[in-house]
Amino acid sequence: MKFQIEKDVFQDALNQVQHVVSSRTTLPILSNVLIRADELGLELSTTDLDVTITKRVAAKVASTGATTLPARRLASIVRELPTNEIDFEVNADNAATVKSGPSFFKILGLPASEFPVIGEFGEAREFTIDQKLLRDALRKTSYAISTDETRYVLNGVNCIIGEGMLTLVATDGRRLAMVEQDLEFPAGNETGVIIPTKAVNELQRLLDVSGELKVAISDNQASFELNGSFLITKLIEGNYPNFRQVIPSQANYRVTVEREVLLAAVRRVSLLANEKTNSIKFAFEDNRLAISANSPEIGEAEEVIDVRYSGPRLVVAFNPEFVMAPLRNLDQDEVFIDLIDESSPGVIKIDEPFLYVIMPMRVAG
Amino acid sequence: MHKHVPPDPNKPTNSPQLNLLWDNISNDLRVSLGDSPFDLWFSDFRLAAASSEGIVMVAPGTMYAIWVEENFKTPLISAFTKHLGSCGPIRFEVNEAASAAFSDDQDSEAGEFEREEPARVVPRILVEKVSEQKLLEKGRAAGLVEIFRFENFVPGENSELAWAAARAVADQPGKTYQPLFFHSSCGLGKTHLLHGIGWESLRQRPKSKIIFVTAEQFANDYIDAIQKNALVPFRKRYREADLLLIDDVQFLGRKEGLQREFFHTFNRLADQRKQIVLASDCPASEINELEERLVSRFQWGLGVEIHRPGLETRAAILRRKRDDWRMAVSDEVIDRIVERVRGNVRALEGALIRVAMVATLSEEPISPEKVAEVIADLYHEVEDSRQVGTEEIKRAVSEHYDIDVNIINGKKRTARIAEARQVAMFLVRSLTDLSLVEVASAFGKDHGTVIYAVKKMKKRCEDSAAFKSSVELIKRRLVRGGSPMESPRAKRNTPASPPRLGYGAKSLELEAE
Repeated sequence: MKFQIEKDVFQDALNQVQHVVSSRTTLPILSNVLIRADELGLELSTTDLDVTITKRVAAKVASTGATTLPARRLASIVRELPTNEIDFEVNADNAATVKSGPSFFKILGLPASEFPVIGEFGEAREFTIDQKLLRDALRKTSYAISTDETRYVLNGVNCIIGEGMLTLVATDGRRLAMVEQDLEFPAGNETGVIIPTKAVNELQRLLDVSGELKVAISDNQASFELNGSFLITKLIEGNYPNFRQVIPSQANYRVTVEREVLLAAVRRVSLLANEKTNSIKFAFEDNRLAISANSPEIGEAEEVIDVRYSGPRLVVAFNPEFVMAPLRNLDQDEVFIDLIDESSPGVIKIDEPFLYVIMPMRVAG
Repeated sequence: MHKHVPPDPNKPTNSPQLNLLWDNISNDLRVSLGDSPFDLWFSDFRLAAASSEGIVMVAPGTMYAIWVEENFKTPLISAFTKHLGSCGPIRFEVNEAASAAFSDDQDSEAGEFEREEPARVVPRILVEKVSEQKLLEKGRAAGLVEIFRFENFVPGENSELAWAAARAVADQPGKTYQPLFFHSSCGLGKTHLLHGIGWESLRQRPKSKIIFVTAEQFANDYIDAIQKNALVPFRKRYREADLLLIDDVQFLGRKEGLQREFFHTFNRLADQRKQIVLASDCPASEINELEERLVSRFQWGLGVEIHRPGLETRAAILRRKRDDWRMAVSDEVIDRIVERVRGNVRALEGALIRVAMVATLSEEPISPEKVAEVIADLYHEVEDSRQVGTEEIKRAVSEHYDIDVNIINGKKRTARIAEARQVAMFLVRSLTDLSLVEVASAFGKDHGTVIYAVKKMKKRCEDSAAFKSSVELIKRRLVRGGSPMESPRAKRNTPASPPRLGYGAKSLELEAE
């Protein structure tokens, strides 16, 4: 196998695929990237057996073939190469030589035949959606994914297609983020899948602000094809719990607040958040919101910001991180906080089909 | 019947006990979390097992299980620890179909649970077998709680009048007492009677419209209606009821707008001779800032107080509970419990459950001797919180003012004696659960005098720190009981410590006067 490739192109491609590679793996082949050269160019693949990413790039291929090389190491070498032109050659023993101007590297690889074959994709439903739409929806929900592995069904984004809507939900039991986007789908494509965290993260890296992507969903796998990349992931098996049970159906009070102002204030006040309870207080009253934190042994902080609110005085305690997470991932200038009372879940909304349920914390005094 | 079987087929448990334990824990959670979070998250939970290996709860949906576990684990653990003495790991099981099976009785999904479990079933006595399920649903929809029925109410000398009135109202709503107003301190059965009236009316007249709400729920509905600009359906709902049962009406205090709305609801129902039954933790006249016109309306009909149960009644209640829950607890053990626990019925039940649980866990029947040890902490709690009797207070005050206790009861009105008398009234009011009328009769005065005395003393406490501290001093001595600070005079005046058990009986005596 022999080819010539531009450094920037190669580097970008390696960057996109190398995150899948786990640094602590029991199977050495899983830390390698599969490089396959054919007449059209190169195909780079990495996998952790759950998620597989394949990226196609252009290259001048002199002779076709395939090998695997340590992904991280290869990426760091390529990054440091001095010239833009790289000559690549791999011998029958899977030893690769990399030449770039005055530099010469020899890297030992493993045979391509050892690289796990991505499972057969069964019968699948396919459709095309807007990249930006999926990108935004994932960004607005993925931070709420549970990291508690004992609740594996929550370790991903629940993605429901049906009733003219694309619904994405993530929750960890203390907060829940949901995007519900009107979408025209051809009838018969109703489906609900749970996309695991890792695939969500990789997908977010691949998604662009324009263009479309092709999605295929089978019983236990999903694939996403976009911008010359192909991501295939196992789906989380099991039923996502009925999340609508925890979404308050109505609210008594609405607070309108500038997102960035609130985010900045919460970030500052949270520096003195009570370490034990990790909560800060939000006191709403007469068009003002006083955010305060109090750590008995450290000190206290308070910041008052202008909001639109005309209800009675309400004091609610929230985990500051849980308040900041959606604020960081929204773009709108204005957000709404809907409240029922001081101890019921609050809901953050925007002018678009998004909502975020957050549980108040119980605070004594 | 098996439609109500909780979905825990592999663990045969004594469900009535568990249900009751859960009721008690629910009450605690309600207090620690507040009503609205409790209703939002816990109302459909059940307890499927509680043993030394751990606790299994059945949630109405996975999401509920997850959110409860994430957000309320600490209060759950502390509630279980309080009632069981310790708390193993809490596990949640989910029964998505349970709620469905509860609402549609013919739902075929229920078949899944027909893996019979004959031992369970809380005795539910309903006349028409055919419509039992329908009635149950209707009752639940009306806000009634199944376990509170007339059948399992144990009347005693403490509640005779209330019990008779409740039955009369259930038999002939709108005709006898309008409104019927129960008051008592907590845990003595007001709520039970309210629900009981509801169930009995429903049984006799399945078509009638019954609403059970707490005053707080009424308030929330009202606020909701205002916000959604939907007062019409709100009024329609309440004003078309045939029987309106409202618990905790003391909550109306200080809420003007709510009182106005309630006043109109009340009038409308009363005009149409629909029955209204109210329960409160104090007499209508003592509800804080309740409009005069509401007070007078509440006093129209019959106001009944439920007193603390006497020894025999307490024993009868617990024996009844034991039989209902099929607990293996002997009469002697129950006698030991009721001798010690003198608080409200909830405390009694808690003690019984504790004893039964300990027996179950240790797998041997509990001996009467061991009872005190098992319920030691409950017993202290109860003891501490209620101790002082009218006579004790009078004695303590007379000691403090260095006058004879009989003078307090007498007619002399020199400044010093009048003050002592007023202090005594004030203390009786604040330290006991006696009603104004009872306090008045204990002093041989009318209740206006008591109100005046209480007000005046409050004012003096506010105005003078010295006065306040001397009142506090008397109070502390009383609460602490026979402290070494007692003067020798006190000893002379104290024949024997007053029989604490006589509480219920004494109240009754006063009632008779």
